[in-house]
Amino acid sequence: MADPRDFDELVGGDDLEPEEELRLRRVHDLLVQAGPPPDLPPALERIPDEATHAEIVQFPLLPRRRWAAAAVAAAALAAAAFGAGFLVGDRGGSASDVDAVRVVPMHGAGGALASIRLGKRDEVGNWPMEFVVSGLAQQPEGAYYTLYLTRDGKPRIVCGYFRVGSHTTTVRFTVPYKLRKGERWVVTYQPKGVHDPGRIVLST
Amino acid sequence: MAYAAAIPRVQFVTRETDAELIQRAGDGDRGAFEALYRRYARPVFGLALRRLGDRGRAEDAVQETFASVWRSARTYRPERGPGAPWLYAVARNAIVDRSRGRTEVGADAPDHASDEPDPSERTEQSWVAWRVHRALEELPEREREVIALAYWSGLSQSEVAEFLGIPLGTVKTRTRAGLQRLADLLEGELE
Repeated sequence: MADPRDFDELVGGDDLEPEEELRLRRVHDLLVQAGPPPDLPPALERIPDEATHAEIVQFPLLPRRRWAAAAVAAAALAAAAFGAGFLVGDRGGSASDVDAVRVVPMHGAGGALASIRLGKRDEVGNWPMEFVVSGLAQQPEGAYYTLYLTRDGKPRIVCGYFRVGSHTTTVRFTVPYKLRKGERWVVTYQPKGVHDPGRIVLST
Repeated sequence: MAYAAAIPRVQFVTRETDAELIQRAGDGDRGAFEALYRRYARPVFGLALRRLGDRGRAEDAVQETFASVWRSARTYRPERGPGAPWLYAVARNAIVDRSRGRTEVGADAPDHASDEPDPSERTEQSWVAWRVHRALEELPEREREVIALAYWSGLSQSEVAEFLGIPLGTVKTRTRAGLQRLADLLEGELE
């Protein structure tokens, strides 16, 4: 069999001007020299959100290499929840009504995953936010979870409080904070009677 | 074959130059940054894979490269040169950082000349691959698909036609059109 990368076989140069044939032969040689581009791993098919938050201190809940995989899983979690119309906390809803301008994955110990769908800020400065979470331990009576924005790497600004069920939980918040570059979200577990930020169980 | 099957079904629509996108990214424009990512994710991953030889480490290097691009785009000066070499330098630095510490200690010095390309040849090959893979991202999908199959799948053109379910003449037309487009995009490489 002829080499499938033979120029004459691939392009056929009979009807080409000599100058054009030379130009295409050079491209042909470059393609052969360069070899095939690699397949992108699924985790890199979309831009890792982490790339634009690289200066932020990482919470060491997951090895960094697994971050992108967690992002994909969290996105799938969000898609599955919205697609199924499975909205705990808004029994009348059938699909997300937050028109997301940004989706932020979160991950935590024990395979807990979450995603934040951040909507467009309204004219007076409110950001709608839809938070979908799975894999967090169900809390005893009186305990709850809190979604915080961080400042200086620590949970400082409350976005909302929630409890989780046995499957996927979706809650909606509205926050008026101006998001600054470098801020992250974390979720803390708040035992009954504890109101200061508790143990971090999820982070972006 | 795997490459052709994995080609994203997203058409490359922006016609802005790399330099314009880098400058906009430097101003915090995430859309511009994403356009750069679409153009360069595969070339960066390819470069990292060639240098590091490990997909996991190469993935990390891609993330670090684009984190560096985001952080340092503001320092890019178009009057000093086009965007592609600047991005190549950022990627190379990120990859070199990641490869540090991998040198095996105690290995004997080779007592004969290696058949491997020397560092300058490797650099040259990497740069060619970088530019070619970057240019491929600009092709319409139907041309990119045909070229990928024709050059790297091992299929003959008749087999490519059969695989894609299109006439052989169409395969040849698309191949030629793709090469012509690549020739325009790679003008500097053809000197």
